[in-house]
Amino acid sequence: MSEAQAFRLRVTFRKSGRLALLSHLEVARALERTVRRAGLPFAVSQGFSPHMKIAFGAALPVGVGGTQECFDLYLTRYIAPEKAREALEAASVADLMPSSCEYLGNKAPAPSVAYPVSTYLVELAFLPKKGEPGGTEDKEPGRAEGLNKPCVSAELLVPPETVLVKRKNGEKELASADFLVGPLEGEGNMLRFSLRAHASGSLRVDAFVAALLAAHPDLEASAITRIAQRPV
Amino acid sequence: MTDLWPRLARLLAQAERPARYINHEWGATAPVPGTSYREPATPDLGLGASITASGMSAPVPGVYRFCMVYPDTYELGQPNQALRILCKAVNAQEGMSAERAFLPAPDFCDLMRQEGLPLFSLEGCAPLAQFDALGITLSHELVASNILEVLDLAGIPLHAADRDDSHPLVIGGGPVAYNPEPFHLFFDAFSLGEGEESVPELLHEHRRCKQAGMGRADTLRRLALVPGTYVPSLYVGLGQEEAQARGTWLVPAPRQDALSREAPRQDAPCQEAPRQDTLSRDTLSRDTVPVFRRRIFTGFSQSPAWEPCVVPFIETVHDRLNVEVLRGCTRGCRFCQAGMIYRPVRERPAEQIVSAVLEGLEATGYDEVSLTSLSTTDHSQIAAILTRLNQACEGKGIRISIPSQRLDAFGVSMAGLVAGRKKGGLTFAPEAGTQRLRDVINKNVTEDDLFNAIDAAFAAGWRHCKLYFMLGLPTETDDDVKGIASLAQRAYDRAREAVPPGMRGSIKMSVSCALFVPKPHTPFQWDGQIPPDEAMRRVNLLRSSVKYRAITVNWHDPATSLIEAALSRGGRECAAWIEGAWRRGARFDAWSECFNAQTWEDAAVTLGFTPAEAASRSWDTAFIPPWSHIDCGVETGFLRRERQRAALGQTTPDCSFGSCEACGLCPRYQVEPMTQEPRKEASHE
Ligand code: SF4
Repeated sequence: MSEAQAFRLRVTFRKSGRLALLSHLEVARALERTVRRAGLPFAVSQGFSPHMKIAFGAALPVGVGGTQECFDLYLTRYIAPEKAREALEAASVADLMPSSCEYLGNKAPAPSVAYPVSTYLVELAFLPKKGEPGGTEDKEPGRAEGLNKPCVSAELLVPPETVLVKRKNGEKELASADFLVGPLEGEGNMLRFSLRAHASGSLRVDAFVAALLAAHPDLEASAITRIAQRPV
Repeated sequence: MTDLWPRLARLLAQAERPARYINHEWGATAPVPGTSYREPATPDLGLGASITASGMSAPVPGVYRFCMVYPDTYELGQPNQALRILCKAVNAQEGMSAERAFLPAPDFCDLMRQEGLPLFSLEGCAPLAQFDALGITLSHELVASNILEVLDLAGIPLHAADRDDSHPLVIGGGPVAYNPEPFHLFFDAFSLGEGEESVPELLHEHRRCKQAGMGRADTLRRLALVPGTYVPSLYVGLGQEEAQARGTWLVPAPRQDALSREAPRQDAPCQEAPRQDTLSRDTLSRDTVPVFRRRIFTGFSQSPAWEPCVVPFIETVHDRLNVEVLRGCTRGCRFCQAGMIYRPVRERPAEQIVSAVLEGLEATGYDEVSLTSLSTTDHSQIAAILTRLNQACEGKGIRISIPSQRLDAFGVSMAGLVAGRKKGGLTFAPEAGTQRLRDVINKNVTEDDLFNAIDAAFAAGWRHCKLYFMLGLPTETDDDVKGIASLAQRAYDRAREAVPPGMRGSIKMSVSCALFVPKPHTPFQWDGQIPPDEAMRRVNLLRSSVKYRAITVNWHDPATSLIEAALSRGGRECAAWIEGAWRRGARFDAWSECFNAQTWEDAAVTLGFTPAEAASRSWDTAFIPPWSHIDCGVETGFLRRERQRAALGQTTPDCSFGSCEACGLCPRYQVEPMTQEPRKEASHE
């Protein structure tokens, strides 16, 4: 089956809860297996070792969730999007759940490059102090009630000028301004901002958040979630 | 039960692979019977849901909780068959739930200790110490130090004798339990043999004891009545001399508890556990030590070949659908323990296997299935099974794999049936380099078998081949070692002839050598291991004898094999040695990057124990070994006979292909080999 004949289905899904801890590769493997369990008529590549024709979206780091993640699946015959979604849903674990399906033309850009701008929501929490029973069974960190929640201060809305990132070939300093799109916004203990990826590379959101919180040793990011992806 | 998840979650940022610890895989069962993780447990899973959100349903009071523990990391433990089978068997019991636990990677063990976080189960993220019972799988001797790592990390006293009513019952099982003595201090009980039926029986009895408010000592005596159960604390070990004189290494321990003064109650509520008369009488009698029989799951052939399983997020070993097509192998290799302890051969019907594979692939989403067993290509219907699976999986990108043990053209043609165009490496195990030695070990293959297999494989498109051998087998001489080189070189020549001239450069052949480790319940159980220096001399002899540069030679570190050998045939004295090594930092000994021989050596010196001697000692076949009270079904008389035949270079045929060779199992256990059709040797077809 050539690509031209295949039906290209873009599936939007959620990576949430503890499954935010999966790596990109683990998510990809889990999704392939979900597609097989769903019994959808996926296309198989020709060649030495045939495999499912599926293309994944931009990677999320380990520990970062997403509410609007996507992948493209090539089907050998048309399945109504709603039916496909139902089949996928029945074959999915709760925290890696598809939310919608739609068909795309074969000319549309691949999901990994289609949306260079990502908007993130960061939930802030107080780190339990040394010697405090922080995070015991009766108190969930980051879910603490009322006064235990930090409030995003004006100071926190100032991005770090540079972020030190570790790469395979040593460390590198990246300028936040090259990646930030628009200002940082805060509401309650939630922080929101957008980062854009360049063809030459991207700034990992977890590294950015770590740099942002470096001056606040009492705070931690209890959840980082990509809530939207869009073209530039 | 305590939910440790919120505490664990905050440490996971520092974990090398957090997905090892997070549970919630497809097919994982919730810790509350009858529920699943399919339902989102946290209402706001979407926006900003914190990873630390618990996702747990509240435990139901009164549920008996069992945890299967694999004493190594998730990657190695999750695919373990015993873990899957026993969790399922226990979950199927009314009012019982089973969870899984693995040892975290070494760094994470340290971090947990530093943070005071105890070892936890996956499903409920509950401390192991809060379970009613733990089942620890012992798949090879090198897990010894990890058992202590598990117990210590769980905050459970290392010694069974130091545990009280608040601690879980710690049960050991698996191949290593066939000589439980080196581990006797650490386990409350051992469950011998196939656990499908016996583990639930044991747990039911334990629950009854708990409900009756019975103390630990009395409970252990009750559990000892469940067939297949060995409670080491009920016996005292003897020294070697006395053991040889008495014909047993154990005598019953003096009784201090109440139950001992009463006659055993014959009306005890034990419906699920039919007692073997001899066992119940002997176990409690004053001066005899019973023989502990292993359990055999006689319903294997009829039981479903597909059972729901967990689909891991992270890549594990054997990360595929595994369908067990048959159990047992009676080819009778004289060094092989599996060939003795899983008898008799029991095949599942082709029909059932094919539908199980298709159902399993659909339910799990795996793109690979392996037809597992000790000797899959021996299945009497294997050709039909593979042909039908190939047709059914056509065009779906599904790989079918079979462990290829059978060293003949038939084995190759079966491997060819499933390999398709992608032909990875083939592995063959001639085990010894000369016909003389292959006859000694009863490896019933000839050089021609190997060459025919090589011809077939390389003509069919394979280019890589791995040959497995054992060094240090009983009676091995330098000629046998040189014979390995010669055999590999001639196999290489055959491979070249079978391949078109232009493609000969791509031929790869490797020779992998393991050091012979004598195993209990085998005809070679009385034979010692060659010392490490001698092992290295033979490795070097082999390396210098291999003249072809295209053949690579790999070998195992003799230092680890020595510890395996000392433990595999050791007695109660080994327990202190294991503990001493663990206290000096030994753990994950099966990982070459973690193994530190010094910890074991130092521990041995302190105890005045000489592992090298323990590993290398050879005994006369009249010698009573430390595991003589464990009965795997195969009689000692048969093992002696086989040892004598080995010395004479006489082979013994496989009873699943012909007549009974009188190993003693079938009449005594009232079982028989169960093949779907008569088995035929390929050469006779
Ligand atoms: S008793 Fe006979 S038939 Fe049964 S396993 Fe032993 S050799 Fe085979």
